[in-house]
Amino acid sequence: MKLKNEKLAIALAGLGIGIIAALLVLFGNPTNMGFCIACFLRDTAGGLKLHSAAVVQYVRPEIIGLVLGSFIMASLNKEWAPKGGSAPLTRFILGFFVMVGCLAFLGCPFRMILRLAGGDLNAVFGLIGFVAGILCGVFFLNKGYSLKRTYKQPKLEGAAFPIIQVIVLVLLVGFSSLLAFSESGPGSKHAPIIIALAAGLIVGALAQRTRLCMVGGIRDAVLFREFKLLLGFIAIFVAALVANLILNGTQEATFFKLGTQSQAVSHSAQLWNVLGMMLVGFGCTLLGGCPLRQLILAGEGNTDSAVTVLGLIVGAAFCHNFGLAGAADSVNDAGEYIVGGPGINGKVAVILGLIVVTIIACVNTFGKKEEK
Amino acid sequence: MTYIATFFSHFGAIRYKKLCESKGWPARVMPVPRDLSSSCGTCVRYEGSELCPSDQMPEEVEQIVEVTQSGYVCRHRAMDS
Repeated sequence: MKLKNEKLAIALAGLGIGIIAALLVLFGNPTNMGFCIACFLRDTAGGLKLHSAAVVQYVRPEIIGLVLGSFIMASLNKEWAPKGGSAPLTRFILGFFVMVGCLAFLGCPFRMILRLAGGDLNAVFGLIGFVAGILCGVFFLNKGYSLKRTYKQPKLEGAAFPIIQVIVLVLLVGFSSLLAFSESGPGSKHAPIIIALAAGLIVGALAQRTRLCMVGGIRDAVLFREFKLLLGFIAIFVAALVANLILNGTQEATFFKLGTQSQAVSHSAQLWNVLGMMLVGFGCTLLGGCPLRQLILAGEGNTDSAVTVLGLIVGAAFCHNFGLAGAADSVNDAGEYIVGGPGINGKVAVILGLIVVTIIACVNTFGKKEEK
Repeated sequence: MTYIATFFSHFGAIRYKKLCESKGWPARVMPVPRDLSSSCGTCVRYEGSELCPSDQMPEEVEQIVEVTQSGYVCRHRAMDS
């Protein structure tokens, strides 16, 4: 792929992904949640009974599709390569706290774009924090941050994560009585399995081919003045925005509503939107990619990314078992508007996350110099 | 010769670029081209009279390819990568 074609490919992939995301909402996913890696991993954790929050339990076929789509595309192009061994436990911890940040904001970077495309201006504050977090990460990258090199791994090690996805799909389709399913709330809203799986497979394949990454776009723009990946980011926004506006005019349901109040699965506690996504941007820069990218890399055989995804899943389970996740804005019985956001546990967890991520960044930047 | 070197860390690329420049070789840091790798790390594209600007290959180097008219030709790959 030459530069011009690469830009075109990324733009087209972004446009396609934006349209698919909007259509998934039409087919049943929650509003502005055609895709949300954090929300879907949380729902999957609930579906597998790793947490007991009844409103967010559903094994999301999109996640399975993303990993398998990447696996298939990488295999077809002879790019599937099992590798790992680059500080897996550190990556697990980073993944854990990235999820804490995502669930304080109520969405991953992918959903942040989709929320913007749905007119949710609370996501602007998330974007500000996200960029600030990436800038923190870039500072450490330029100072020498590294989690050390990866090594070639046995084939089974690289294939384990895609195989787990197949097993989870078999459970969902054939043994659903073993799983938990939300009867109300975001977990109860979902597109039919076959559509969600197909959407995941297509987006997974496109993301593998184009290396689409929400963190990489901003990181490369800052580091190299290179805007290719950012173009994908913008294309998703534009396509989802246009699709939402069209659907808004043709469907009964709301697909676009401009403002900060009463947005779907969103809160207007802006400080925590900023800090939550700052934690996400910082953590993901240290990990080398956003949650979507971690799923894609895991599909390509990267076991470090698979461990990161496990960190995200465990983080999601902790968030709902220990009351760390943010609550959406709501209206009480008296008709008063209640601003949501994370409770005290969640606020402490976000601050703790920023401290832990900063320590990891410092130790793997300045600590290494002392080792030599 | 034109080469592209890929690395295990971003900082490894920055150090390698400085090494190239200390030998007077034009070099620039950039994202790894998609047709070279599916990873999205940092690489250094440089013009050099030899493969490596230092006597010993830096341990951060993952691979070095020569840019030819017919495409990339691998000239070095780190052990177990």
